[in-house]
Order: sequence, then C-alpha cells, then structure tokens
Amino acid sequence: MASSANSNPVPKLYKSVIEDVITEVRELFLDEGVDEQVLLELKTLWENKLLQSKAVEGFHTEEQAALQAQQQQQQVQHVHPNPQVTTAQAQPVILPTQQQQAAQQQVIVQDSKLLQHMSATGISAAATAATLALPTGVTPYQQLITSQGQILQVVRAANGTQYIIQQPQQPILLQQQMQPGGVQAPVIQQVLAPIQGGLPQQTGVIIQPQQIVLASGNKVQGNAQVMQAAAMAPQPGQPTTAAQVQSVQQVQGAAAPQVASSQPQTQTQQPPMMLQVDGAGDTSSEEDEDEEEEYDEDEEEEKDKDGAEDGQVEEEPLNSEDDVSDEEDQELFDTENVVVCQYDKIHRSKNKWKFHLKDGIMNLNGRDYVFSKAIGDAEW
Amino acid sequence: MAYQLYRNTTLGNSLQESLDELIQTQQITPQLALQVLLQFDKAINTALANRVRNRVNFRGSLNTYRFCDNVWTFVLNDVEFREVTDLVKVDKVKIVACDGKSKPHGNIKESTIIQC
Repeated sequence: MASSANSNPVPKLYKSVIEDVITEVRELFLDEGVDEQVLLELKTLWENKLLQSKAVEGFHTEEQAALQAQQQQQQVQHVHPNPQVTTAQAQPVILPTQQQQAAQQQVIVQDSKLLQHMSATGISAAATAATLALPTGVTPYQQLITSQGQILQVVRAANGTQYIIQQPQQPILLQQQMQPGGVQAPVIQQVLAPIQGGLPQQTGVIIQPQQIVLASGNKVQGNAQVMQAAAMAPQPGQPTTAAQVQSVQQVQGAAAPQVASSQPQTQTQQPPMMLQVDGAGDTSSEEDEDEEEEYDEDEEEEKDKDGAEDGQVEEEPLNSEDDVSDEEDQELFDTENVVVCQYDKIHRSKNKWKFHLKDGIMNLNGRDYVFSKAIGDAEW
Repeated sequence: MAYQLYRNTTLGNSLQESLDELIQTQQITPQLALQVLLQFDKAINTALANRVRNRVNFRGSLNTYRFCDNVWTFVLNDVEFREVTDLVKVDKVKIVACDGKSKPHGNIKESTIIQC
C-alpha cells in the first residue's frame, strides 16, 4: 500500500504521534521530578525500536540518517586505525551473515556491567536480545566484527552506559586499558567503572567467565577473556589505543598457543565450551536424543500404571486427540497479521458478512498500514 | 478516556517496551509509564481520526467471529486488502474492532475495553 506515486502516510503519522506524546508527557515527567534526559531517552528508544521493526518504511529523516553516517565514520576512524580490523563500512555487507551467526552462537553475559561503545550499524535489537538472552534492561545496539571474525555486540543498558559483549568462538586477546594511563589489572568477574557516565564514546572492557586472558605487554594470564574496544573519545587514551590495537594484533598471534596452556582459574569446563543460556532440548547429538527417548518411555510407563488405578489419567491423553487444531501450522508464521480498528457497522446475512470499519492500524506481512475507512466482505 | 486498543501495534508495543526498559532501570515509575500510555492512547486516537484519510477494501473468507464486551474479533483467511494504489494478500488475518460509535465510559474498568 506504499507506492512511490503517493507518499506513504505511515511514517509521518507515527512521527507526529511520537512528537505529540513526548510533548504532552514532558510536563508529567517534570512533575514527577524526572530528568529531561530520561524523556529524550524514551523518545530515542521508541524511535529505535520502530526502526528496527522494519514495519515502517522511510522512518528515519534524512537529517538523522546523515547524522548516523557521520557518527559511524568518526568512530570508525578512531576505533580502527589498523587496517586489519574490519571497519564499519564493510559491515552492511556482513550483517546478514552476522545475524545468522548470532542466532547460532551462545554467549555468556555476566550480570556485571559491561562497558564499551563501538559504533557500527546494527541488526534487529529484538532478535539480538532474544538470541543473546540479555539481562533485562539491556538492548543490543550495534554489532561489530573484529579482524578475528569475532562478532561483538554493542549493548546499551537503559541507564545509558553501553557495553560490549563478545561472542566467543576463539579466545581473543586484547590489551586491557583501564584508564588512559593504561594500568593493567587482572579482572576476573569484576565491573569496571565507566570513565564517563552515559557518554557514547568511552573505553571499556568486556568480561566473560570462561577463559580470561589478559594481555599486557605480551604477557598472558589465563583467567578471563577480556574484550576491549578502542577509546573513541578525544582523550589521551587515543594514541595509546592505536598503539595497543597494533600490539594487540601481535599479542594475539603470540598468545593463541598460550591460551591452551593457560591455567583456568574460574572455569571448570574445557574451552571453548559455553554456558548455554537458551534452554535445553538440543537435538544435536545422538546421546541427547537417546536420553530423551528413555525419559519419555519412563513417563509413559508411569502413566500406564496410574491409569490402571485411576481411569481418568488414561483418558486425558486419549481425549486430547479429539481436538481439531490448526495451531501448529499457524505458529510457524513470524507475523501475525493484525488489524486493530473500530467498527461502524457489522452486518450478516445468512453466511455473508459485511464489515464497515474505521480508524485502523494494520500490520500485514510485517509492514504497517493505516486507514480511515475499510469495507470488507467475507463468507463464513 | 480513549480506547487502549492501539497499544498492541508496532507503535504501541515499541512504546511499551521502551517504557519497560526505563522502569527496569528505575528511571521512571510504573505510574508514570501508565500516564504515558494513557497519553499515547489519546494521541493515536486523535491522529487516526484526524490525520488519516484513506480507504481500504478487503475480501476473504471468514474463519471465526466473536462478539464479546462490545468488541468484535474476526479471523479471516486468504484475504486481499486493496487500496487505490496497490494490493496486499495474506493467508490469515485477525481483526479486532472496538465500537466506533460509543467511547468508553470513565467508570468502566480499562481491562474490559481491550481485546477479549
């Protein structure tokens, strides 16, 4: 329903609604003593989610798109002075693959705060959040690929600070930069305080519980994996970062063989085994399948025994077959096509129905449409 | 008070999710979030009534119908939605429609007005 001939009314409508709501609640926010910052954050969150849902075409204004492109370029320059590191410009090509990889990888996210901000184009936050099983209040913001092919998720907690999550496939070593002074500190499962709260450009560290490898001056300690994104803010850390990134590349080569021999302090599993956060029920190995089958058989035997004593228990499984349900087929669809509206008149004659509807929002095949009037016919 | 009908849309859900995030981090109270949603209800109802001016036709087969608490819920199959410009086909669509003539009274609980 959006054609190039007529402009799509949906983005404008949504934008105007957002503006109206934000303006109206500004007073409410002030009455409650909530900072304007929070209001702006609400607006940003809201708009981002709309963007990521891809339900609306052309939602971003040209201005905002230009701003984004600018930010990306700036941060790319600061973060990746090293040509070995994949830049954000290459990301649009990589993204579709990232999405698939993200769905297959398992990530451990500590409850400890993650610091980091990397700029990059992002994939759907909802998909990423679901995939990564992020703690509440944390939404994926962007993704980045390092030279090792690791996928970093930039995650944005609701309080404004941003974190990076490493998706571990190989142990990655990077120098850890605490402060612009560059003091090393072994971090096992600690939280590093953000340098500046809430600013999008900070240095930070990711901590993961399996292997922790700290690289400092080519030393390797086996304890935790620490990811570091380079500093982006105009701080004295910047030249240090560039040097560190380069030395990191060297360290990685040297440290890779050392990882295997590093002494795990906190881990009890073999690397790179990950803690699975997406629930049990894997079907990848035969062993698991056999175990499940055995378990089911045991259940059935118990049921039969109970059935002999109490007739109702046996009947329940039998009766459940009587239902005619199309649900299974329908669950496969991602989008439930929904129309929310108001009815002027609903008419029926025998089995012929006529619908007179108004003021509706439709989500069809993943896209949003609106109407002021809708007339329909259907046979039951 | 306006219908809360439009909260389960892309626009409404993204707002609710954003508010939930802010509540999680305790940047706003649930009470304030509720106020925001009420404001959203007003804004979207007004916007749809005043700022949208297009017509849509559709045809399909009716699978189920339900009328409960003055709310119609239909499930249609193999539906074609036609606007002047183009055509959208879906295998299944759910239509939730509140009464367009009467607005909800203030003393009716909100929970009865939404979808059945």
